[in-house]
Formats: sequence, structure tokens, C-alpha cells
Amino acid sequence: MSARMLNWIAALGVAALALAAFLPGAVDSYAFSFLFFVFLYAIMAQAWNLVAGFGGQVSLGNHAFFGLGAYTTAILWSGNYLWGSLYDAYPRIYYFDPVTMALGGLVAALAAVIIGLPLLSKLRGDYFALGTLGFGEIVKVVLINGGDFTGGAFGVVAPAGTFDTLLPHYLVGLGLMVGVALALRLLMRSRYGLALIAVRDDEMAASANGIDTLKVKVAAFAGSAFIAGVAGSLYTYYIFHVGPDSVFDLNWMLLPLMMTVVGGTGTLFGPILGAFVMYAVFDLARIAVPDYHPVISGLTIILAMLFLPKGLMRVRGRRVA
Amino acid sequence: MLNIPPPEILLQLSINGALGGAMYGVAAVGLSLIFGTMRLIFLAQGAMIILAAYFVRALFYGLGIDPFLSLLIVVPVGLGVGWLIYQGLFRRAAAEEDRNISLLIAVGLMFLVQNLMTVVWGGNTAAVVTTYTASGIELLGVRTSFTRSMGFLIALAGTGLVVLFLRGTLVGKAVRAASEDMEAATLMGISPHRVNAIAFAIGISLAGAAGVAVATTFPFNPFAGFIFSLKALVALALGGIGNVAGALAGGIILGLIEAYVQYFISGGWTNAIAYGVFLAVLMFKPEGLFSRPYKKA
Repeated sequence: MSARMLNWIAALGVAALALAAFLPGAVDSYAFSFLFFVFLYAIMAQAWNLVAGFGGQVSLGNHAFFGLGAYTTAILWSGNYLWGSLYDAYPRIYYFDPVTMALGGLVAALAAVIIGLPLLSKLRGDYFALGTLGFGEIVKVVLINGGDFTGGAFGVVAPAGTFDTLLPHYLVGLGLMVGVALALRLLMRSRYGLALIAVRDDEMAASANGIDTLKVKVAAFAGSAFIAGVAGSLYTYYIFHVGPDSVFDLNWMLLPLMMTVVGGTGTLFGPILGAFVMYAVFDLARIAVPDYHPVISGLTIILAMLFLPKGLMRVRGRRVA
Repeated sequence: MLNIPPPEILLQLSINGALGGAMYGVAAVGLSLIFGTMRLIFLAQGAMIILAAYFVRALFYGLGIDPFLSLLIVVPVGLGVGWLIYQGLFRRAAAEEDRNISLLIAVGLMFLVQNLMTVVWGGNTAAVVTTYTASGIELLGVRTSFTRSMGFLIALAGTGLVVLFLRGTLVGKAVRAASEDMEAATLMGISPHRVNAIAFAIGISLAGAAGVAVATTFPFNPFAGFIFSLKALVALALGGIGNVAGALAGGIILGLIEAYVQYFISGGWTNAIAYGVFLAVLMFKPEGLFSRPYKKA
């Protein structure tokens, strides 16, 4: 399949998904919430893909950035720190508010820069992965001990209000998934993207060619954190109760990682395809064998890795537009 | 602000911390071996420890076998299971350059084992209660739990045996060579699959030994293992990756840190400080606390 054809299929798919939302009865169907989660996981997968697939830095801390984004949104909203008196006039102002969502991403990105500068300047490969894993646990404990501001072990509850439809979640999720993919496409075709690939493939050679490798790596780490933070923000609008055990669950890091690898690490469509396929398998298992579904999930991961180690897209190593 | 407590309390804290930390240590020794040859963060180690703990419990309540005596069964079974896990699950992935694949297989195995345990034994907390569970012994003038002390001895003995194996046998030498440089070791005629499988076999049998220690000391549930994996990783980094005796020492240090933080600061911060130390060691002394300066040949 040529890249051109793939792009057309993708564009048609997105249009169909967007239009399907307005079919009568679609919002109430099970497929609707299923797709929302596919979008959410695809965004998280793409975030990991940026730092690990394109950047070659295997981060095991993306759940921390997801959680930071979720917490930021819930705290801003429940404490009304952002819009002041406007909130009284427009009670829905925080709902899918782009500023609140972007702030969720920015807080995560800021944390990524703070932790990424020392980690990435000193650590490589496995040590970096271990460091990010430790960082995720630290963030969780800090938020549990954050007192009234972070709600301790219980967390923060955002005011749900009267929202009774998934339609905005679905559309925003779809939009973000497409937006992130388009942004990555632009990014990977830019000078910066070339530098990132160069650092991944041979850091020493990249450095010898005048690339500031630390800057490139930290930027990818922060970009990944930003995307994960926005995804966390999106999840807050769905779950409303943000608690340390729910949003810092390791699954928010492990599942997107697995989806990316199944779809194809370092490809643009891989994470989306992987999120769709793997979430479908998990969800089917949940419906078919409710008591055993985590067992099936574990088996699926093992089988996928044994038989599809290169990913569904099978174009690893080649730069895919 | 910081009141220095009387020496008895310090001693008590230190002994409790060291005894608890030895369990992280024995888990870390297994991780260290597996990481050494395969460069794999084997996240399922904690789940394997809990699996062994359930196995010990089943042996005790089903067949009446004393938990400490069951070491004689658990450790050989662990060797076999480890060998099978490598041959069945990791053999193919070990040849791949992309090590995320091995990591994900470990994650899948962890999910699988955790949830199979839930299906078989239920998600509730289980424990092994023997006649000596509540008994204590006098150690350096401090009363400590008998089972914890036994756990410490198991950790020491397990690590000691592994060190003897690595230093005293030709196969052990091959494992050490492979951890230092797999490519060079392969050129010397060492089969990577063989050393990987040996590392896995020993790693899982150590998980079995740790399972005995856990089963006799703590109540456990199917999901309690993951925190063990994380703590073992911290111990591993403290002791220096690839340094087997250091991994045990790293576990003991981690146990001490936790005991002191719990006493002097608060239990809620234990994990953050433990991981903070972990990050600091990774950053400033990535070769671990005990390694001698590296000399180039």
C-alpha cells in the first residue's frame, strides 16, 4: 500500500467517524463510548510514539504526565482558579475549555522539562527508562501528600453539572487524535524531526553534526508529556473524579506502549491502528468472558509480541510520512 | 526538631529495616541476573514472588508441608519454570534488537499471572499462619520476628549460592561474561540462549525463595507483587546493575531507608523518598554504591 493511498484511507476514515457521530441514536450506542476510549488511548500511544518511537528514548513515565494533566484540569475547574467571575455567568466555561486543557498539557510538559534535563543529560537507554518509572511513583506520592489542594488519597472531584451526552467527548477525542497525528506529521518533516531521527539512529553522529542532542531529546520528552497531559485533561471530562490510583495507574503507560508496538513503533498510523485493534480485543474479552478478561489481556499482549514483534504497519526503520 | 531517639529504638529500626529490605534484595538479585544477560527489566518478578507465595500456602494448607521445608520444592520448581518461561516466551524476543518487545512480554506475563491468581485463589488477602508465625527471637538484645529473621537468612543463603555459582563454576563464568559483553561472549562460543535461560531459571527460583519469605511474613494478595518489582528495581540500582551481592545490599539499604523515613518523617512519604534516592543514585552514581572504579584493560 502506498503512503498516498494510506493517507486517503485515513482521511476517509476520519470523515466517516466524524459524520457517524451525528447519525440518529449513535450517541447512545455502545460503539460510541468504545470509540471515545480508542481515541484516548490512541492519543496516549502517539505521545509515547513521539519520545520513544521517533526519539528512541524509552520513557516509562507517561502515566505521570497523564495524571498531571488530569489533576491540573480537575483542580483548575473545581477551585475555579482560571475564569473567576466569568464562571458564574457561564457555568459551562471549564467544560472542554481549550485554555484549561492546554494548561493541563503545559503543566505536564513543564514537569517533563524539569525532570528531563537532568535525566536525559546523564542517563541513556535502560537507565532513563528506570528513572522515568521512579519519577512516576514520586509524582503520585507527592500528589497523595498534597493536602487539601490535591485532595490526598481521595483526589479531586470536578463539578459534573448537567452534562449528559458523550458527543463532545467523542468529537474532541477524535479531533485531538487527528490533530496530534497531523502535528507529528508536520514535525517529523521539519528540521527538528530530522534532528530527532538522527539522534535516535546515532546520537554521536548527530552530535558531531552540530545537533544539540540534549535539547532535541528534552523537547521530544516535553512534547510527549504535553500530549499525555492533554489526554489526561480529556479523561477528566469523562471521569470527573481524579484520584491518585485511577489516573496514575500504570496501565495508562503500559497499554499505550503496547498499542504502539503492536501498531508499529515510529510510524504515524501505527499507534492509532494499535489502539483500535488492541482496545477492541480487550473490550471483546471484557464482554465475552467478564471474569477472565484481564487474563485474556495478558495473553493477548504476549501473543502479539511473540508473533507481531515488528508491528502491524511493518515499516519500522523507514521514515513514514 | 529532630529528636534523636534512644539507641535501642535506632537498633530496632535498623534490624527491622534490614530484615524487611533483604526481601527486596533477593528479588533484586533475580532481576540483576536477568537484566545482566538480557538487558530486560523483568517487571513480572514481583508477580512470580506472589505466585510462589500462593504455591507455598497451597502446599501448607493442602499437604501440610512446612513453609520453610517447602523451599526444597519451590526452588527446584522455580528453576524449571524459569527455564520454561525463557524458552517459551523470551527466546524469540531476545534475538530482536527492539527490547520493548521483551519488556512487553514481561508485562503481559505479569497481567496473566496476577489475574490467574485472582481467578484461582480470589482477590482477597491471604496469609500463611503457622505455630511460629507470632513468635520472636532475641537478636542483639532486640526482639525480632522469627519469620522475618528466617527470611533474612533465606536471602543471604540464596544470594550466597548465586555468588558461588557465578564465581565458582564455568557456567557461572559464562553468565558473568555474557552480562559484561554479550557480543564478545558469543564470539567466545557462549550460547546466548543458554546463558539467558540459566539467568531466568535462577531468577525465578530466587523469586520462589522470596515467595517463601513473603508467605511466612506478610499477608499477600495477587496484586501485591508489582510494588515488589519496583522496590527490587530500586535495590538493583542502589547496588549497581550487574552486581549480585550489591543487589542484596541495595535491598537492605532500601529497607533501612524506608524504616528510618517511616519513623522520622511519615509513612506517606516512604515511597517518594525511596524513589528519590533511586533517582539520585541513577544520576550521580549509576554504577551503584559498591562498585569499585572501573578500570579499562
